[in-house]
Amino acid sequence: MSEFMGYYRPDGAVGVRNHLLILSGTVYANGVCERVADTIHGAVPITHANGRCQVAPDLRVTRRFLAGTAMNPNVGAVVIIDHFKEEGMTADDLAEDIAPTGKPIATVNIRGAGGFISAVEKATRYAQDFARQISLHQREPAPMSHILFGTECGTSDTTSGLASNPANGIAGEILIAQGGRMLMAECTEWMGCENWLTDKAASPTVAQAILDGVQHMERRALASGEDIRGSQPTGDNMAGGLTTIEEKSMGAVKKIGGDAIIEYLEIAEAPTSREPGNYVMYGPGMGAESISSMAAAGCQVLTFCTGGGHTSNHPIMPTVKVTGNRGSYELMRDTVDVDVSGVFTGELTLAEAGRIVYDEVARVCNGYLTKSEALRDNNSFAIHRVGPSI
Amino acid sequence: MKKVFVVYATDNVGTAVLEAIHTGDHVASNGERSDLEVIALADIAYGHKIALMDIAAGDTVLKYGLSIGSASRDIKAGEHVHAHNVESNRGRGDLAGRAQVAAE
Repeated sequence: MSEFMGYYRPDGAVGVRNHLLILSGTVYANGVCERVADTIHGAVPITHANGRCQVAPDLRVTRRFLAGTAMNPNVGAVVIIDHFKEEGMTADDLAEDIAPTGKPIATVNIRGAGGFISAVEKATRYAQDFARQISLHQREPAPMSHILFGTECGTSDTTSGLASNPANGIAGEILIAQGGRMLMAECTEWMGCENWLTDKAASPTVAQAILDGVQHMERRALASGEDIRGSQPTGDNMAGGLTTIEEKSMGAVKKIGGDAIIEYLEIAEAPTSREPGNYVMYGPGMGAESISSMAAAGCQVLTFCTGGGHTSNHPIMPTVKVTGNRGSYELMRDTVDVDVSGVFTGELTLAEAGRIVYDEVARVCNGYLTKSEALRDNNSFAIHRVGPSI
Repeated sequence: MKKVFVVYATDNVGTAVLEAIHTGDHVASNGERSDLEVIALADIAYGHKIALMDIAAGDTVLKYGLSIGSASRDIKAGEHVHAHNVESNRGRGDLAGRAQVAAE
């Protein structure tokens, strides 16, 4: 079983990065968060539009996204900033959720601190202290079985289902063979190949949850006036050569390999099992929300398979972009990490392409920066909404 | 000889991803299955599929080693494979979904 060099956290989890998070509890604390992060070496701000005037089920999901992001093993310490007294999700509530990880946490309330300037000062002092504390952390050898490997696809094209996604599935199988876990979300893309997924389910409960999840998402869409099935494959999919919904969906879900599906998760929920295999999560096709839900579930690394090329990158979870379209790789080489288009020209077999994807992921787990990390283009933190603002 | 890509060894269709295919072209499979040759009976645009063997009406159309639907009529080796001769086996969920929402 192979190892990687990672950061052990007090709860035994192992990160592939050692970030200091400056976490905004509410939209109105975003400015303070950004100001603090600007000042402190290596600090990553997490800002968003939520935290106020949400209905309770929606607020619970937001809280899972925010607390989960801070609980991710890639985070070494966290400073949480809130504005006033956000009902159901104060900085102290978030701190309580994060506390079991044992990592250093500080909270600052803007009103309690005496306003913007004092809050910036107070939070900056905490952040400076934490940045120095976590700078003492060293990478240590850890088994690959600690890795929860997220996977996503977006801006897909004909090459996605033929090359990047199946290669990615093979990469997942290599990790799972070493005791690791792979996580796939986006249940909108399971539609049409539910049977392929339920056949792999480790129990009837998991199989039923998969079916219910797809149906739930479909009915939410129908309730908003959108018939997902009737409109799939889309007109441009058909023009591009995709004939049926199962053809489109199979191309997407092939990004996980042949191993059993151990557990079905609600959005942004961490797995409860450590058993090697595949894990699936309820969630939308929207890329930034989807990858943020997987970071909140604890994924230390993610592959983003893309036909058209992509810029998506999560602030704390290295996001490795993989394409099977050479033209897209050339156009988007600033942010696309891996080109597996060699499977079409005969330069690579799919098995070799899978190994290339796995090797890149393993290097990134050891600290190698993705192209987007090097650019600090942290564009893809987004929270899925399940209710209206009130 | 033009080439189409086959993603799994048991597939009966290939996808044009390397070059466009024109009627009358000699076409060979490559990728995970490289033993098939057909003559194209239609133009096959980038991303579209060609039958690499005869597929009888009702038979399963296989891509990724998995069913992507059934032939809605006999398909000859070399034909364009698309919505005009393949039917989804899943498609009717749209109607079921509508009926369910209407009932609520």
